[in-house]
Amino acid sequence: MFLVGSFFLFAAFLITTCIFVIFSKNPVNSVLFLVLAFLNSTFLFILIGAEFVGIILAIVYIGAVAILFLFVVMMLDIQITTLMFNIKRYIPLALLFAGIILAEIIYLTVFKTSKDNLDTFIRSKNNTEQIGDVLYTEYFIDFQLSGIVLLLAMIGAIVLTHVYRPTIKRQNIERQNSTTAEDRVILVKIKSGEGIKDD
Amino acid sequence: MTSLSFELTIGILKIFSFVVPVLVSVALLVYLERKVLGAVQLRKGPNVVGPFGILQSFADVLKLLTKENLLPSSSNKFLFIFAPMLTLILSLIAWAVIPISSTYVIANINIGILYLFAVSSFGVYGVIIAGWASNSKYPFLGALRSAAQMISYEVSIGFVIITVLICVGSLNLIDIVESQKNMWFAIPLLPMFVIFIISALAETNRLPFDLPEDEATLVAGFFTEYSSISFGLFFLAEYANMILMSSLTVILFLGGWYPPIDIFPLNAIPGIFWFVIKVFLILFVFLWVRATFPRYRYDQLMRLGWKIFLPFTLIWVVITSAFLFYFGLLPN
Repeated sequence: MFLVGSFFLFAAFLITTCIFVIFSKNPVNSVLFLVLAFLNSTFLFILIGAEFVGIILAIVYIGAVAILFLFVVMMLDIQITTLMFNIKRYIPLALLFAGIILAEIIYLTVFKTSKDNLDTFIRSKNNTEQIGDVLYTEYFIDFQLSGIVLLLAMIGAIVLTHVYRPTIKRQNIERQNSTTAEDRVILVKIKSGEGIKDD
Repeated sequence: MTSLSFELTIGILKIFSFVVPVLVSVALLVYLERKVLGAVQLRKGPNVVGPFGILQSFADVLKLLTKENLLPSSSNKFLFIFAPMLTLILSLIAWAVIPISSTYVIANINIGILYLFAVSSFGVYGVIIAGWASNSKYPFLGALRSAAQMISYEVSIGFVIITVLICVGSLNLIDIVESQKNMWFAIPLLPMFVIFIISALAETNRLPFDLPEDEATLVAGFFTEYSSISFGLFFLAEYANMILMSSLTVILFLGGWYPPIDIFPLNAIPGIFWFVIKVFLILFVFLWVRATFPRYRYDQLMRLGWKIFLPFTLIWVVITSAFLFYFGLLPN
């Protein structure tokens, strides 16, 4: 009873926050609602007993991804973005993705596994250990491939945005650390009335 | 139904038994900080209010409470008020999983260390929301600095935690402490211990990494616009976070509630005493560092995080796991 009740509570919150993500006028509020949506999906994962997946979702998406979103969105000029916001343009694409995800969910729940099977599988062992058992054995290739995809995305972003400017003066920390007083300061005895000759 | 309400009462009492000591020790920590700084700089520190000035922090709290709470007219009102609340809530809910002794903990969950890591990484939201909602230059710059800094140092904290986890074989905090019964992890993993303390300084925005609130360039950083109790909440949260990170250091590296040597007069003393003593020592290191080192420049801070700590911890994770694997020391 408690479980079912909390499921519907968090699910309702999740859908509400998702709607607010789309319809908020201010993009910063959108990102903050997105954070709430992530948090609610974390709770849903914990409810079905997958606490490891849930908390990793929280660490990665709330602790890192959403912060970077917020970082970018905070620097936008809000007036311009509200003018540019045109919901009708994105509806076909949104429907396409919604359709794909719905099809996946139907495929997984109706055809792929029976519910009881999944339940006993989840409850049989600590789910951190379960993931540890299969991650580097059964799913080794998939795991490494997803790592390479992320690495490629990162390198791609750097290559696209990085412009090398030879005119910029950079610090050479090794050189700074290895300089001694003798390299920089010379003690000169000046005779009266002569001054220093610059060479 | 009676048993449920009984359990609820016990739970609430347990929560209070953690939150109240934490808040009191925040007040004492502020007093300690001023005394330590005073001693380092050959001053007396607070010495007027109460015996040895020990009530100074309480007097400061009372003064803060009686001030007017200002709301900047161009700020986002809801988020402006929400940010300090969020910061304090996050620094207090983390205590739910901290084991003070082998039995005394609110929630002994399987993924305790991940929960702590998650909560400490949410801490940046309070800062960034405060900076944005203030709608003012200095808080905004402070928030940007803080977000970048906390994300950078979380990476190395993550790798340090992974190294410890490889040695323990469990994400449970009590298991982590119990596997240090014979040898504290600070000894075999000394470099990681040092990196963890330095990263903890950066994560809690303490000197020499307090660039988010760098008074020389940013007035007061992200809480420039805050006054009265909303400033007080940020202040409270910062010190509560310091105590939290010290407790985490003690749990991960200094053997939690275990005495330094397992012999009679030492192991007869209750574990809570050892835990508090160790937390106190780490906190003293925090204050000592503050009195000793000048502030880092921002590019130096980023360089230290990404170019030194990240590769070093990454290599150390590989070395540790290879060592444990080849000598058959891996847990389970």
